[in-house]
Amino acid sequence: MEDLLDKIITEPLRNFLEKLAHFLPNLIAALIVFSIGLILASAVKVVTQKLFKFLKLDSLCNRMGLSETMQKMALTESPEHLIGRFFYWLTAIIFFVIALYLLELPAIEQLLEKLLLYLPNVLIAAVILVVGFVFGNFLGRATLIASVNAGIGFAGFLCRAVKTIIVLLAFVMAMEQLGIARGTVLAAFTIIFGGLVFALALAFGLGGKDIARKYLERRFKLEDTEQGQDDEIKHI
Amino acid sequence: MDRSEIKEKIAALGEVDILVGIPSYNSAKTIVHVVKAVEAGLSKYFPHCKSLLVNSDGGSSDGTMEAVRDTTVDLESILVNRKADQFRKFVTPYHGIPGKGSAFRTIFEIAHALNVKACVVVDSDLRSITPEWIELLVKPVLEDHYDYVSPYYMRHKYDGTITNSIVYPLTRALYGKQIRQPIGGDFGFSGELASFYLTKDVWETDVARFGIDIWMTTTAVANGFKICQAFLGAKIHDAKDPGSDLSAMLHQVVSSVFNLMEEYAGVWHDITQSEPVKTFGFVYSVGLEPIHVNLENMIEKFRIGVRDLDVLYQAFLPDELLGTLHRLAEAPKEAFTFPDRNWVWLIFHFALACHRRVMSTEHIIKSLTPLYLGKVASFVIETWNSSAEEVERRLEELCLTFEREKPALIKIWTQEG
Repeated sequence: MEDLLDKIITEPLRNFLEKLAHFLPNLIAALIVFSIGLILASAVKVVTQKLFKFLKLDSLCNRMGLSETMQKMALTESPEHLIGRFFYWLTAIIFFVIALYLLELPAIEQLLEKLLLYLPNVLIAAVILVVGFVFGNFLGRATLIASVNAGIGFAGFLCRAVKTIIVLLAFVMAMEQLGIARGTVLAAFTIIFGGLVFALALAFGLGGKDIARKYLERRFKLEDTEQGQDDEIKHI
Repeated sequence: MDRSEIKEKIAALGEVDILVGIPSYNSAKTIVHVVKAVEAGLSKYFPHCKSLLVNSDGGSSDGTMEAVRDTTVDLESILVNRKADQFRKFVTPYHGIPGKGSAFRTIFEIAHALNVKACVVVDSDLRSITPEWIELLVKPVLEDHYDYVSPYYMRHKYDGTITNSIVYPLTRALYGKQIRQPIGGDFGFSGELASFYLTKDVWETDVARFGIDIWMTTTAVANGFKICQAFLGAKIHDAKDPGSDLSAMLHQVVSSVFNLMEEYAGVWHDITQSEPVKTFGFVYSVGLEPIHVNLENMIEKFRIGVRDLDVLYQAFLPDELLGTLHRLAEAPKEAFTFPDRNWVWLIFHFALACHRRVMSTEHIIKSLTPLYLGKVASFVIETWNSSAEEVERRLEELCLTFEREKPALIKIWTQEG
């Protein structure tokens, strides 16, 4: 009976206590490391915000039109604050991962390994998105100014179209990088983009055929018959 | 021809007193007349000076360089005798960014290498140049020791509208010299000033293109060189570089003016009023052919600009000025008047936006194009029946408005550091 009790209760309890005795220092160490990480993350956040304030990141983002895009995405915080926040979480996550490693749990170790291998993809995707937004804004603005200077009446539409296509392209590239529904996202993009072009072609060719005809007639006939009616002002 | 070959050929030219540079690009049709006028001018007015004509070409494919080489003048027919070997021609392609400024750089380099006493540059598209232009541009340098001779011409009232509405009034207000054609394109200057230009590192900027003229004038004024003007009569020329559009030209010129404002802020902040500069030559009125102006097109472009670029203007124009622009965009053609004070502050705010770098400088300045067309349209409506003298008086009013408002600009500029 005593043997039975020893086998059923005492031995597992002893094993559990042994494991707990082995695990507790790791847990305490992990908690300490994570706490230090949180303090360090706050310090990193303050230093980063001050550094980017010194480098005038906010005005740089204003110039590149990034702030405008961020506001449209309901990101009301300034880029300096957002970057500070990003570094806070990056530091916190790094220390969290270290803390988890200290627990020496095989299942978590495997999971972390996968996570660490995947992390660069997240960073690259984030960079692709930011570059896409900046580039989309810049080219959108350049298109707007060039179209207005050429006297095109639908300059605003052209600007939005250029911006949307570039941002959409960046989004698809980011998804591709993250490996999220690779085939689906790419196919959706191809269908949407192809559909847009097809719809525009149909709209212009069928719905707007009279406008198109008039426009082309006016454009080419004007060039043929009304040469010399343009300005003769020499600006320089 | 590479640089070492050019250097060898220049060294072989020996001593030269006067150098006349002609930048060109596909100007075979007009450059022959310019070369003849230059050769006749040098032979007639400076027969004892060793002179050199330099054609700095941007890779013309229409035989411009050959046309320069083959052009000769029958000096007997214009009653001129010249000593043998006093006049030579040197035709060379230039290197660097394609543009007038790069062509000038080559001319300055040759002038510097030959240690010339006086230098002249004239455009290759001039139809009204006469031998007297060379006399008027060279003599103040050789005889009166001026460093820079700016041209002063009679032009059609709607010719040179960037000069009249922006460059002349703004540079006059900033640097205090009443140089009427600061981007005229035909200048005389000393060899010393040519060498000074070469010390500046600007050849990869818009100075290498159409910005060169205002850069030369401003650099001479801001660095205290002795300046004068020469009255050259009528200026009749082809449109500049038909391939380049208005917004590109406007950007090249205006960005050079704004860059110079940054560089010489210490100079223009201390200048409170403008003064006339010595003018050589016999000033007379010239009849000029009327030109066609498409007012509706300009006003329409202004309206499109105000409507579609409003989102950009909001970043650097005050609400009051934006309100004026919107009211003007809604006004009928008969009531389309762009008030001078609003125009002056519009230019100041564009300069301040570039100073603060609120966005890409190219985007800021190119977005000025429709507003500039609005100002030109307003000016044309206002002066349609005015004589040349009346138009000059009207421009004087604009210049005085720029000068009156300048202290407020300095205040804002200084506050923003």
